[in-house]
Amino acid sequence: MTDPLALEPILGPRERLRPAFNDELPHDERFALFEAHVTRGGKVEATDWMPDEYRTAVLRFVEMHANSELMGVLPEREWLMRAPTLRRKLALTAKVQDEVGHAQLLYRVAEDLGKSREAMFDDLLAGRTKFHNVFHYPTVGWADVGMIAWLVDAAAIVAQQALRDSSYAPYARTMRKICWEESVHIMHGRDVVVTMATGSAAQHAAIQDALERWWGPLMQMHGPRSVREKDRDLHWRIKAKTSEELRQEFLTIYVPRIRELGLVIPDPDLEWDERAGTWRYAEPDWDELRAVVTNHGPMSQARLAFRRLAREENRWVRETILVAPRAA
Amino acid sequence: MSSPPELEAWEVFRQEKAGDPMRHGGSVMAPDAELASHYARELYGRRQESVRLWVVRRTDIVDVADPDLLQPPLDRSFKKPGGYPMRDKLAAAREISGQAKPKARSK
Amino acid sequence: MSVVSAPTVALGELLRSMADDEFVIGFSDSEWTGIAPLLEEDVAMSSLAQDELGHASALYGLLGEPTGTDPDALAYDREPEAYRHCRLLDHGRGDWAMTIARRYLYDSADAVRLAALAGGSWAPLAELVGKLVREERYHLMHVGAWLDRLARNDGEARARLLAALGELGGDAATVFTPLPNEPALIGAGILAAPMTVLEGRWRESIGPVFAELDLPMPPPASDPARGRLDHGDTFHLLWGAFTSVRYSEPGVTW
Repeated sequence: MTDPLALEPILGPRERLRPAFNDELPHDERFALFEAHVTRGGKVEATDWMPDEYRTAVLRFVEMHANSELMGVLPEREWLMRAPTLRRKLALTAKVQDEVGHAQLLYRVAEDLGKSREAMFDDLLAGRTKFHNVFHYPTVGWADVGMIAWLVDAAAIVAQQALRDSSYAPYARTMRKICWEESVHIMHGRDVVVTMATGSAAQHAAIQDALERWWGPLMQMHGPRSVREKDRDLHWRIKAKTSEELRQEFLTIYVPRIRELGLVIPDPDLEWDERAGTWRYAEPDWDELRAVVTNHGPMSQARLAFRRLAREENRWVRETILVAPRAA
Repeated sequence: MSSPPELEAWEVFRQEKAGDPMRHGGSVMAPDAELASHYARELYGRRQESVRLWVVRRTDIVDVADPDLLQPPLDRSFKKPGGYPMRDKLAAAREISGQAKPKARSK
Repeated sequence: MSVVSAPTVALGELLRSMADDEFVIGFSDSEWTGIAPLLEEDVAMSSLAQDELGHASALYGLLGEPTGTDPDALAYDREPEAYRHCRLLDHGRGDWAMTIARRYLYDSADAVRLAALAGGSWAPLAELVGKLVREERYHLMHVGAWLDRLARNDGEARARLLAALGELGGDAATVFTPLPNEPALIGAGILAAPMTVLEGRWRESIGPVFAELDLPMPPPASDPARGRLDHGDTFHLLWGAFTSVRYSEPGVTW
């Protein structure tokens, strides 16, 4: 309820809350106003003025996220044609469809920041931009499909929920939609895993094997520990939590849920430290992460090549019917 | 040979249930209104989450965001219910009349 | 009109042919998920494929009900030559023009078939058909929009569409392959007219569209009696893929 007794002072140009319209200010002052606005929790829209550093940081963040949704389709897609029941087939197709939909939402956000979709695909397929580590690994069986849909999605959701209040409002709104849609995926994944974990001996063994192969990439997924004060994405409130906070959150929720299925997590050092109030774990292999995200992972080149081929095969459609807008 | 239309952005507004206002959902790229409407249905309605959609070419939208127009600085409390505080005056009136404050009506 | 209280052999053949049609096209087109020409279109084509799979599930449900056979068993546990989908759908998804051509021919034919089943005497099927018709409207709207755009393009898009229609050739009309024991279905009031008559109605419905777009009408089916048999290598490969996980350990729950 507005304070009825407050008389709003007449604000001069230097005190207005919307620095975007302070065209007459020198850049440094405008930058300072913008920074104060964002660090106080203010929001930024696509059409607002923003300093280059902010625009670049948001674009890079969103672009990597979009790339990851697009590439993340591929490991699961391999199993679309092999789903063993009608219901699993429908669930998996819907899940992969959602990921394509999320890619669409995220590329749209990035496009409105000034980079064309075709340019982003060019950069991704040429290896100039990155996608998340987990999508560089092979899937060897149906158990992997369950494991990815459950734990990889879970780790992603932990990160995504923390982005729902991003300073860049179009991204924040997209994250809220994505989080709402993702809740189904985890249930599908967990259902596949629980079914197999409690199924035949061969199925249980397959799930245990999948866990052993995916645990390393999962622990690397949120990234190495960063220093909060030095993290520019945190400074600009593009994201709100550190890598370590996200990893801890993931462990807290999912370690008990994995163990209750009788599965053994392949990290003998993993334990809850009551005094510190954190999980202790074997140090993830950061060299592996670095190699993988620079496209030296087991499936990096094969998947990029697959995408290049699909893009080439559809080129005629983009030249005749779905013509990309010419660069402004 | 006429050149085909380019993809452009179409804004999608959606109605969650009958009687609700149209709310902005997001945007789709499409070469024309027909495909734009299909894509809007897919991205903002395939889960039966909407009962109505509006699809508008982005370039047809007039964006008004100037704070001088929308948030002008001088007092405008006379335009809002909160601009008429009467608590003290009513307390004085009740003292004079000896009447208690009327009970709040239940909704 | 006599009401059929349980599926006869003829009804079983009808349900199987429809369910297999929806299953095969749904499976085939779901392959576009993730690799369609535009992200927005990717989501659309995936919805169409999922709808078909949902329709297949419902039809297998009706088919299996009298014997208590699980829809998954009906969908998965048959040898390739025991499937009764039409040969039109034996063609793989091909390029985007092939997918649109094949889909347009199928969806327009399916609309005529469904119209001939609407309000039929066997309530469970009539009810289901009422729902399918409402979902299939969107399919025809969407692929019709694509047929139109591909055909009107005066370049590679039209050329590819014509090539696809040519390749589909004598398989295009196989949706209307006469069913075994068809007279029984007509006599029982389940099917409004024989498949040969429905084919005529189909040709009347797509005739104006094809004329306007200057597309050649599909030829008659090349081997009408065998239009739902002799499925060929492409389907055998698809079958190998969709049964691989299920057959890896028969009998377990997935």
